[in-house]
Amino acid sequence: MNSIIIGQYIPGSGFFYRLDPRTKIITILFLMIAVFMLETILQLAIAIGIAVVLLLAGRISLLKVLRGLKPIFILLVFTFVFQIALNTEGVVLSTATMHFNLTSVIFALLIFVLWRFLLRFNRFKILLFVLFVLGLYFNFRYATLHTDFYSFQLTIYEKGVEMSVFVVLRLLIIITLTTVLTLTTKPTDLTQGLESLMHPLKKLGFHSEDFALIISISLRYIPTIFDEAQKIMSAQASRGADFTEGKLKDKLKQIISLLVPMFIIAFMRSEELADAMESRNFVPGEQRTRINILRFTIVDIYTGLFTALCFAGAIYVKVML
Amino acid sequence: MSIIDVEQISFAYSEEKRTLNQVSFTIEKGEWIAILGHNGSGKSTLAKTLVGLLEPQSGEIRIDSIKLSEETAFDLRKKVGIVFQNPDNQFVGVTVRDDIAFGMENLCIPRDEMLKRIEFYAQKVGMEQYLDKQPSNLSGGQKQRVAIAGILAMRSDILIFDEATSMLDPYTRNDLIRYIQSLNQEGFTIIMITHDVNEAILADKIMIMKQGEIAAFDNTHTILEKKELFDENHLELPVALEIASLIEDIKLKEILWEFVSTM
Repeated sequence: MNSIIIGQYIPGSGFFYRLDPRTKIITILFLMIAVFMLETILQLAIAIGIAVVLLLAGRISLLKVLRGLKPIFILLVFTFVFQIALNTEGVVLSTATMHFNLTSVIFALLIFVLWRFLLRFNRFKILLFVLFVLGLYFNFRYATLHTDFYSFQLTIYEKGVEMSVFVVLRLLIIITLTTVLTLTTKPTDLTQGLESLMHPLKKLGFHSEDFALIISISLRYIPTIFDEAQKIMSAQASRGADFTEGKLKDKLKQIISLLVPMFIIAFMRSEELADAMESRNFVPGEQRTRINILRFTIVDIYTGLFTALCFAGAIYVKVML
Repeated sequence: MSIIDVEQISFAYSEEKRTLNQVSFTIEKGEWIAILGHNGSGKSTLAKTLVGLLEPQSGEIRIDSIKLSEETAFDLRKKVGIVFQNPDNQFVGVTVRDDIAFGMENLCIPRDEMLKRIEFYAQKVGMEQYLDKQPSNLSGGQKQRVAIAGILAMRSDILIFDEATSMLDPYTRNDLIRYIQSLNQEGFTIIMITHDVNEAILADKIMIMKQGEIAAFDNTHTILEKKELFDENHLELPVALEIASLIEDIKLKEILWEFVSTM
């Protein structure tokens, strides 16, 4: 399988790629702490501005970073909705009765169907989702043709809107930071950086080398095992198994018939791999030299200075304002 | 002087049956030995005991006159390298370069030296253009070549191939065998475990194993003359010999014999 990409790494140039993974990990850690020290929307907006400038300077496409947000999109929506619905501080912005009656429920269903239908054609799925939510809101607010069988008061407070925007922006920055890390760092470099950073833990009995080796071997075997899964699936499909259709119960059965051979093969593999490693004189926990080494360059120094500046700025804002 | 000395070793995975039973033999430096046998004849177990992956319950193995034990295993494994059957299950590194380096890293060889050796041995096995490739982009034969480079880089001079060609397609298999042949001519001692008779007849000597014991161990030519050995051990005859045994014509038989022995 050549097509699977492990992690989100996309090859490229630009200064993010030239950074030592250790610098990236530490920088991102400090920047995250800095972001958590910011307290107003304006401060966050400035932080986002700086981030966007940096991304552009590092020739990283904003679109790819935004794609990294996809998995947490639902989380963002939930935070937003809960903040708006549950926060009761500040001035009342609007208050409205939500009507649940025959027309509003039917229209809600129609809006839902329309949304699912449009999803097939449109690329702006997030925008569509926002329109869908707004559509539902206005539908339930203004549909008063029939008598309600249920209704409630939805009151939106100033603080609720402010907090929801704030929390979503903060999450956005943090996810962007980690996305940049995974986008520009090979998984192997990442593990090596972590290994190097965790090296001092050896005194506490934690062997970071072994940990890094475990991670890098797992990464190395993901495509192999994936390949195997496909082979087994084809073999079983050729004997009538169907992984795509059928009831949930049937699907579960099919998955078990896939998992059992895969586990057995994985165990056999690990045994053979252990033999191969031992025959090449691998002794766990022993001293080894390394073929891949990490080196700090001038770019790392600049990045360090920049991070210190951002961090100091955040502390200043927290203490002084 | 013999480079491998095996004296009366026995090994059993379980109490009922011995996988290796009182096996003794010696191998000279620079020889090419083929170990033939059916599944379960103990040939792979024998290979694992030779590199110290399994410890025989009795008897002893001497490599370069040093007794193989838990204390000496680390040093002796530098001399004996093994290539296993499944190309995927012995590829430790994320890239070809990392994989060739793996054994050297374990030997604590300085990085500069490693880089030099990687370059040299990658060239030697013809993989110098693939150093940054990942295993999923390599063919089975290429992966086996990387495995060989990794062992050579550790400066092993005894190479064991445990059915290393059995998962390759016929073309790459021949290619790899040619390569093993050239290594032997350079002076490497080769032990090749196989159940393919046509592969085995390329060796200097053939050892036939049966139920954990050595059924025969002799020069290839001598073994090939004893047709009954193949029948007794349920092994196929080499193609040429098979044909020869079907032919009554003495003259043609001699020509074929000539052919077999020069193969």
